[in-house]
Amino acid sequence: MILAGVLLSGILAGVAAQAPAQERLDRVRADLFARAEHLDEDIRELKQILAADPRSAEAHALLGIAYRAVGTQDVMGESVAEFRQALDLDPHLLPVRLYLARVYIDLGRFARAREELETALTEAPGNPEFLALLGESERQLKNPARAVEILRQALQADESSAQARYYLGLALFDLGQREDAIKELERVVQSSPGVIDPYLALGTVYLDAGRVDAAIQTLGQGVRIDQRRPELHIQLSRAYRTKGLLDKAEAQLALAAPKGAAPGMSAYQYQQVELDLALERGLVKLQRGQLTAAGDAFKKVLAMDPNNEQAARGLAEVNHKKKAGGRQ
Amino acid sequence: MSGPRWLVAIALVLSQAPDTSVRFVDVTAKAKIDFAHQSGATPDKYMIETFGSGVAWIDYDNDGFPDLYFVNGAPGSSNALYHNNHDGTFTDVTAHAGVADNGGGKHAYKTGVAVGDFDNDGFLDLFVTGYGGNVLYRNNGDGTFTDVTAKAGLASGPTEWSTSAGFFDFDRDGRLDLFVLNYLDFRFDDNPYCGLRKEGYRMYCHPTQFDGTTDRLFHNNGNGTFTDVSRKAGIANPAGKGLGVTFCDFDRDGNTDIYVANDTVRNFLYHNNGDGTFTDVAYRAGVGFDPNGKPRAGMGTDCADVDGNGYPDLVVTNFSEELDALFLNRGDGMFEEVSDRAGLASSFIPLGFGAKMFDVDNDGDLDIMITNGHVIDNVKLYQPHLAYAQKDLLYENLGGGRFKDVSRESGPALQVDRIGRGLAVADFDNDGNLDVVITSVGQRPVLLRNTGARAGNWIMIRAKGKKSNSFGLGATVTIETSEGRQVREINNVASYLSSNDVRLHVGLGPAKIVQRIEIRWPSGARQVLTNVPVNQILVVEEP
Repeated sequence: MILAGVLLSGILAGVAAQAPAQERLDRVRADLFARAEHLDEDIRELKQILAADPRSAEAHALLGIAYRAVGTQDVMGESVAEFRQALDLDPHLLPVRLYLARVYIDLGRFARAREELETALTEAPGNPEFLALLGESERQLKNPARAVEILRQALQADESSAQARYYLGLALFDLGQREDAIKELERVVQSSPGVIDPYLALGTVYLDAGRVDAAIQTLGQGVRIDQRRPELHIQLSRAYRTKGLLDKAEAQLALAAPKGAAPGMSAYQYQQVELDLALERGLVKLQRGQLTAAGDAFKKVLAMDPNNEQAARGLAEVNHKKKAGGRQ
Repeated sequence: MSGPRWLVAIALVLSQAPDTSVRFVDVTAKAKIDFAHQSGATPDKYMIETFGSGVAWIDYDNDGFPDLYFVNGAPGSSNALYHNNHDGTFTDVTAHAGVADNGGGKHAYKTGVAVGDFDNDGFLDLFVTGYGGNVLYRNNGDGTFTDVTAKAGLASGPTEWSTSAGFFDFDRDGRLDLFVLNYLDFRFDDNPYCGLRKEGYRMYCHPTQFDGTTDRLFHNNGNGTFTDVSRKAGIANPAGKGLGVTFCDFDRDGNTDIYVANDTVRNFLYHNNGDGTFTDVAYRAGVGFDPNGKPRAGMGTDCADVDGNGYPDLVVTNFSEELDALFLNRGDGMFEEVSDRAGLASSFIPLGFGAKMFDVDNDGDLDIMITNGHVIDNVKLYQPHLAYAQKDLLYENLGGGRFKDVSRESGPALQVDRIGRGLAVADFDNDGNLDVVITSVGQRPVLLRNTGARAGNWIMIRAKGKKSNSFGLGATVTIETSEGRQVREINNVASYLSSNDVRLHVGLGPAKIVQRIEIRWPSGARQVLTNVPVNQILVVEEP
């Protein structure tokens, strides 16, 4: 995710009440926005502040931010709870509404994210950050045309918003406007070279457009920036397989194999990675003529998703080739 | 074969020693209770199907024997009221009483029950919670009830999901107010798919998928109506995902406080400020999180003084692989969690729901009983070491803040796996031993008769308020005997979705007489009784 926390920290500082614990709150805020590795201490400190003043909206908000930074499933509900308590105490804390919307998006609750963002936009019409997230929420809710419209508004308000442009690229792709999507995503990669998600998106769109060399180059750049993202390796394997470079494809799959859910990855995201990995492995093995291994991989996919058409076709091809006397 | 004489003598002495063990016997069939819970389970895995439902002990006809009210679950299913026939059997009087509560729409699920005399006419009324509508039944005093929900102003919203509830007099005006927990912002038309996308693997969603909702506090206006004062009183926290509630005066300032067990978000402790408002002091008191500062999945709860320091402690049941929590009240506004150290380690694997602290063996201290059952029916597919149906737990208080798991020694009825949810306690046969009723998801409940330990004496107090509410809910009772002093509160609100007998039962151990009983009524009146005989049901009227 492309974050814009620095701006928000300024806004949050503006709403701070003149409480005795203000200095402690300022210290925690600075720590959180500096991404310091003191989350446990920050959370403890915020709870102490809330013990003295349970009605501190700012402390609730910062605690919500801290829990979101922890990112594990068991505290995401608490993050939502703290943000909602902050808003209950002060409904005009717009940045908190943005954070809350982000958590809802992380949790896949796009309709709730949309509600929060629409409420925020009534107080801050045209705010590009709210518009960017609202556009993404609409896209996730399968309204790509509405998403494009909103994201263009966001870019009108702030042409330099990489986040809005990234979401616009995704929305255009969903609308089937592949070349326009590529243009937008290329601009994002150029303007935010250190962020991984645009590389993944652009590489995937290149592959879809049949521009395999460009896909390999883009996905390879992404892998060089962050080797821990299995989705990048899986897409890169797909690109190599498309070119018939099966050894390289298998090497990427070996790198993609997750050792359990990565930090911040939900069980369902982990399941999706496992499924994509098994499918790609099946396709590589099928192309190599290793029918038993391919069949096993496709069966694994179908165990996770019985309606997966690509795996079903793959397995049918494996069975057909076996019957026709193909080698194992 | 003969042995030495001294060996025989020891054996004789041992056989004559007081039997302090307690055995529970399943008397459900003998009692003629044939109620069966319907969960309404569907392949859509609506969360509410996991809930089970509550049970209440209510002496609705004031004949001195507690009757039973079971809440059902699925839309269209009937609740059931059983009259206690005084001979160990019960008779289903639901139709005559008019408390089936089987109306509502296709998404009207019922969950919990609260008992209290809201109109101070001397007859206990019923409040039934659910998804899509709560119901207040006024007891007409002739064996029938009337639905007065709309007139009372207690109708809930169509998607409001109420769970546990309880009557208490928070402003000490002599009239019982009502606290209603709400769970999640769940809608049937927005039911996400959770679990693996594989045949048989769909599971019930995690509560973090949904938002919390505000609980509600209704002030009793004294004319048959209530006013929602949640926001004004400071208990309208939108983060709440409440499942269990209990009331105690945690700081002994004379005002009843509220403790709420929330699912996957921190628990709330609302301190009653005595001016119609509450302050959530959970952060300060240390009862919101686990010892690592993380929220747990709180389910049921109860409060009472288990360590004898005069201040009510707290027990909270939690999810599987989370310890059930025992918080000891230090008396200075702070609590200390001692679950593991106190001996509750065996609660780690089971998923706890209904819980009650009561003196199971009449030895003069409070023991803990917990019913368990997982929420995910196909949990074995995901975690093979866990089971859907689980055994109950009984912890005997050994004194000194230590408990012992005596579930296995307490009779075969506690060796049965069930999908336990509601649990409520009363001495239904008035023999001085507290009995237990437990509900299970989609199954018949069990009535467990406590056959008693031979060692302990007891006393039971039926309070009759005059200026205070008619059953004395919220009164603090101090009992002094040769064995020591016990401080207890008259409070029927505890466990999960359930309601306990309004009579206060106190185990006395070997004490032959109660030297002193002091009652501090909610009105502020103090009453002292001296040299009271044991083993009796004592009716005490407020002076």
